[in-house]
Amino acid sequence: MNLLRISFGNAARNILRNKLISLLCLGIIAFTLLIYGIFEYVSFSLDRVTREFSRSIEAIFYFKDGSDRQATEAVIRRVKESLLVQKVVYKSKEQANIQFGRQFPELKHILKEFNRSPFPASMEITFKPEYTLDTKITAFIEELERLDPVESKQVNIEWAQKIITVKKFISLVGLFLSSILLFVSVFIIYNVIKLNILFRGEEIHIQKLVGATNWYIKFPFIIEGAVLGFSGSVVAGLFLFGLLKLFPTYAAFMFELFKGMVNFQTVPPALFVRLVLLGTGIGLFSSFFSTRRFLRQ
Amino acid sequence: MIEFYHVSKQYVKNQFALYDVNLNIEKGEFVFLTGSSGAGKTTLLKLIYKEEEPSKGQILIDSGNINLIPDKRLYRLRRDIGIVFQDFKLLNKRTIFENVAIPLVIRGERRARIEKMVNNALSLVGLTHRRNYIPEHVSGGEQQRVAIARAIVANPKIIIADEPTGNLDTELSIEILKIFERVNTNGITMLVATHDKNLLRVFPKRVLQLEKGRLVSDWGKEDAP
Repeated sequence: MNLLRISFGNAARNILRNKLISLLCLGIIAFTLLIYGIFEYVSFSLDRVTREFSRSIEAIFYFKDGSDRQATEAVIRRVKESLLVQKVVYKSKEQANIQFGRQFPELKHILKEFNRSPFPASMEITFKPEYTLDTKITAFIEELERLDPVESKQVNIEWAQKIITVKKFISLVGLFLSSILLFVSVFIIYNVIKLNILFRGEEIHIQKLVGATNWYIKFPFIIEGAVLGFSGSVVAGLFLFGLLKLFPTYAAFMFELFKGMVNFQTVPPALFVRLVLLGTGIGLFSSFFSTRRFLRQ
Repeated sequence: MIEFYHVSKQYVKNQFALYDVNLNIEKGEFVFLTGSSGAGKTTLLKLIYKEEEPSKGQILIDSGNINLIPDKRLYRLRRDIGIVFQDFKLLNKRTIFENVAIPLVIRGERRARIEKMVNNALSLVGLTHRRNYIPEHVSGGEQQRVAIARAIVANPKIIIADEPTGNLDTELSIEILKIFERVNTNGITMLVATHDKNLLRVFPKRVLQLEKGRLVSDWGKEDAP
């Protein structure tokens, strides 16, 4: 307990003694984690959009005019039997006609000009959410499309797949950039601790000669690294929070697509916790290796 | 208390800083280590608190072979030894009180106990009135007394002083040696390196003389010099 108190005191003294270097270090860590946080946040949002989107993935198959009733029923039976399907709704030509009339009453007079419904019969398939992004669905849709009574199809699965591709790309870019910046952070904390060790060389030497344990000497430096990492991550979290609040106000008009996909509300607690753990972890890791290298007996 | 058996120390090939030194210092003894500059005094002292390792031979402190102490246990040996350096080795950004308190702080002593023990040590060296000064603001003699206070504050078994009067005039040197004598009366073993022959005359103690790394004489255990 005493060691912890003394170590925190010494770490705080080190940070305050080298205010400029500590601030610089903190700024770089915060910037690194902010970049990481932005990519994580976008990826997180796209995940959410994809999830929501996949819940409403539907395929509509239009039947040929005058197609055999038995063949149509066979297709519907085949669809109902499939494990991928949650719901299937058949809509006859007449039902489509009535629905159109309800949806667009101002166009009802056009329908009157036709003797019979101009709309084809169709079936609307809603897939089970757990399979919506499965390749089996694509195969299933292709299979249905080849059946005789089917004339055409309308599927919104391509959108979800495109979003997934974008998300994968963003994640990869984020991973690449974050890796470089995280390496830079490790390098910087490692060297800040090294500088402090060299700066306090005389004091460390005296402490060793009067009987300080290795941990007594090492611990304040490790704490210092952790404090820098932790503070940097909190700053990054706050900046991310600010950015999410300001983005829709000042820049969303340039990124209309993003505005639709990213929920500019607040930093999810899980992401904030991840940022803090990552920052503190980087600090601990870098300072631990710095002390191992520069505080040998 | 301190035993050397055929101890040699070589920094460079074919040059011995210490060569085949054998000695035995009893508990509570006051011993001077003398010799000209480069005779090996500092090396011998450093071997005792294990800042240097012997190239050959064995060193026993309290009957324990210090060669066998691993690095992570070294602090136990050093907590039994108080060291006074010629260049004081004080922290100039800390007050005199804080400097003297270092050995107690690293042991995790409680604040009240630190206060009491540091005050005792400062009182013994006559520096209570300077406790809140920083070392740069007191004289050389006073700085050396701070270093002594730091060496004695945690009640070590042995005190090693490397040329503690090297930078001081005769009057101050005698004053410092008187403090050492007072400390020695508490049963603490004293080993003081000096090349000042005057001091050896004023304080008749056992004297070990080194020349070119060899222990050439050990006199005064019974006879005064």
